[in-house]
Amino acid sequence: MKYSGAIVFGFNEYAKQIALQIVDDYEKFAVFVKNESEYSAAKEAEFAVELFDLSENWDSLKRFDLNSLIVFCALEDDAENVFLTISLRSIFWEMPIIALASDYESSAKLKSAGANKVMPKLQITANVITEMFEKPTVTEVLHDILYEESSLKIAQITVPHTSNFVGKHLHDIDFSKKYDVLVLAIVDHALSATFSFTAKGHNHHIDPEDILVVVGYDEKIEAFKSVIEGVS
Amino acid sequence: MISRGILGAAFFLHASPRYRHIKKFFHNLLENSSYPYKKFFDYTMITLIIVSVLILIRHVKHEVSPELLFFNNYIISVIFLAEYLIRFWIYSDISKVVIEQYEHDLFLQRPFRLGEAYRKILAKKSEYIFSPSALIDLMAIMPFFHELRILRVFILFRVFKLFRYAKSLTQFVSILSSKKFEILTLGLFATVIISVSSILIYIMEANNPASPINTLFDSLYWSVVTIFTVGYGDMVPVTTEGRTVAMAIIVAGIAVISFATSIVVSAFTEKLDEIKEDKLIENVSKMESFYLICGYSTLSEQVGWQFKKKGAKTLILDADPIKVAQAQKEGFIALALNPASLHSYHQLQIDWDRQILGTVLLHESDVLNVYTALTIRELNAKVKILSILHQQENRRKLSLAGIDEIVYTQQLVALMSKEVSGRPVAFEVIHALRSENSGVLIEEIALDNITKNHLFDTVEMGLFQRRLMFLGIYKTLQRKFLFNPSQSIRIDAGDVAIVIGTQALIDEFKTLLHKHAKGKR
Repeated sequence: MKYSGAIVFGFNEYAKQIALQIVDDYEKFAVFVKNESEYSAAKEAEFAVELFDLSENWDSLKRFDLNSLIVFCALEDDAENVFLTISLRSIFWEMPIIALASDYESSAKLKSAGANKVMPKLQITANVITEMFEKPTVTEVLHDILYEESSLKIAQITVPHTSNFVGKHLHDIDFSKKYDVLVLAIVDHALSATFSFTAKGHNHHIDPEDILVVVGYDEKIEAFKSVIEGVS
Repeated sequence: MISRGILGAAFFLHASPRYRHIKKFFHNLLENSSYPYKKFFDYTMITLIIVSVLILIRHVKHEVSPELLFFNNYIISVIFLAEYLIRFWIYSDISKVVIEQYEHDLFLQRPFRLGEAYRKILAKKSEYIFSPSALIDLMAIMPFFHELRILRVFILFRVFKLFRYAKSLTQFVSILSSKKFEILTLGLFATVIISVSSILIYIMEANNPASPINTLFDSLYWSVVTIFTVGYGDMVPVTTEGRTVAMAIIVAGIAVISFATSIVVSAFTEKLDEIKEDKLIENVSKMESFYLICGYSTLSEQVGWQFKKKGAKTLILDADPIKVAQAQKEGFIALALNPASLHSYHQLQIDWDRQILGTVLLHESDVLNVYTALTIRELNAKVKILSILHQQENRRKLSLAGIDEIVYTQQLVALMSKEVSGRPVAFEVIHALRSENSGVLIEEIALDNITKNHLFDTVEMGLFQRRLMFLGIYKTLQRKFLFNPSQSIRIDAGDVAIVIGTQALIDEFKTLLHKHAKGKR
């Protein structure tokens, strides 16, 4: 689902990088900071910025469309980050919260505090470092697919009710030869709420609202999307 | 005229690569403990010593064949003599001293003083001749000890010679030598006690016909046996005065023994860490294929664990002994050596091409990481170096220092956060593939001259249809990834195929790919 607004809490180096990455993806974007020095730094970087304190009742958030708002909790201090997450969650039950954690321990606390997704900084870095040595090619290819401006992309496509694919089995269709895309995984709502890899060999029945995770070149994915949505 | 001839010879030897090569070979063989063939030389010498001692023991009560005696007295002695002379030769460089003297005099516009050069050479060489180990070597050469019974004591020197070849024995001596002062004090104390008690007991007992102690030698023998708490009981004082002396000497004996024990124990305790460190360094220089992590932090710990999980070995270097102790506590192999200093790597005698799979720089400052990278690049141009970046503006400096891969955590986490907010399922799928916890993994298969021709045949096999996903080919030379390529593309040796599947299926794929290739060879 695409959100219209986003807030990044904090303006340390992590928060700043997140802000830089996502600012153009949302109609409404703001950085919320706790002190004056961060305020002026964010202002200098030309972000919309507001001051907040951890004890507030979040009235300031009401100017955003709360049904289409995503927040990133990236405060420097893990304890404060946990407190921020829990205070947001206590008021906004449905709001997606992504939180940064220094390690596994804070990661578990942030999850209990109600974060939808926790990004443990140390583990992420350690994983990437080891992968760069152990599987350099895979790391480079996946990095390009995920983050770089290459034409090879990964996309998640939801199967609409009207699609021709509804009622077929995954193995009935040769995605790679026919559409030049690969279906890595499927979220088959009939079986489970989470995704399963197609490489597991299970021949899924495609139902409406199932999500296909596909890899392919930009134009091929677009073409495939059109097919699945029954446009052509 | 003479000095000119000597100077000419010195320059000739100094410039001769053959002479240098031979000298270096002998230096390595005799002195360089990291030289692979040194141990064979050491083992040969140890065997010769043991044979020599066994022959002597046999000779005490039995006839030994003349050939064996000849071998013992001459062959072994000649070998030892040759060793002694080679050690004498390699101990210092005569030609260098002569040339240095010549250049020194030339600089000061004085005539070349050969005498001065001789003096320096002699001083240096006599340093060798009078060193304890060289003296032992010299005594061990003595071939005629069997002729005179008393000279058989020289066999002892052959046994002492063992110290040269067994590292643990050398270590034992060096540990004790660190307590030279204490040992000397103890020796002095024991000598005074023994002398005084010998004289006293002699005075008390020698004139008593009932006493077994009659001579000064008897009283010395009795004192030594008593003070070192052996007390054979073959000689005992019989007079009251003598017994009083005995009581005093017994008490003093306990003091001597406990003092001696405490010296040895404390010397070992003090040196224990050093010994452990030496042992660790020795083990590291024998370690094969490992990752070098420079700088210990919480991130290093995580990286260490990740490598461990993947079955890879790591070595952590940090200049701070407290951090190293922490790392060791976590179960890592860690050494308190400064990773930014050339000396550390010389000490470890690292063979970069053979031993190091890659280097990870995880210091908590960019300055240190750049410094360490430059040190490593000085030693090896090829090894892959990855560094963490702390300040974005230093990225270029890290690249210039020769770092191949730079990881900027802040940006990485930001990219991931963007991904997870925009395409959460796709992100989770990639994350699960990378973490290898879901049972399905992504693997790279390097193709060689033979397997490259059979990749598509193997991919098309029924077993892999719809279960093994062939993502594409990475063209190594062009550094380009071709997604879902058609069978007509050209694959070169060194290209990498990327596949997704379960571990078992990927293993089977690799096996069949090679089998296929073999079958068609």
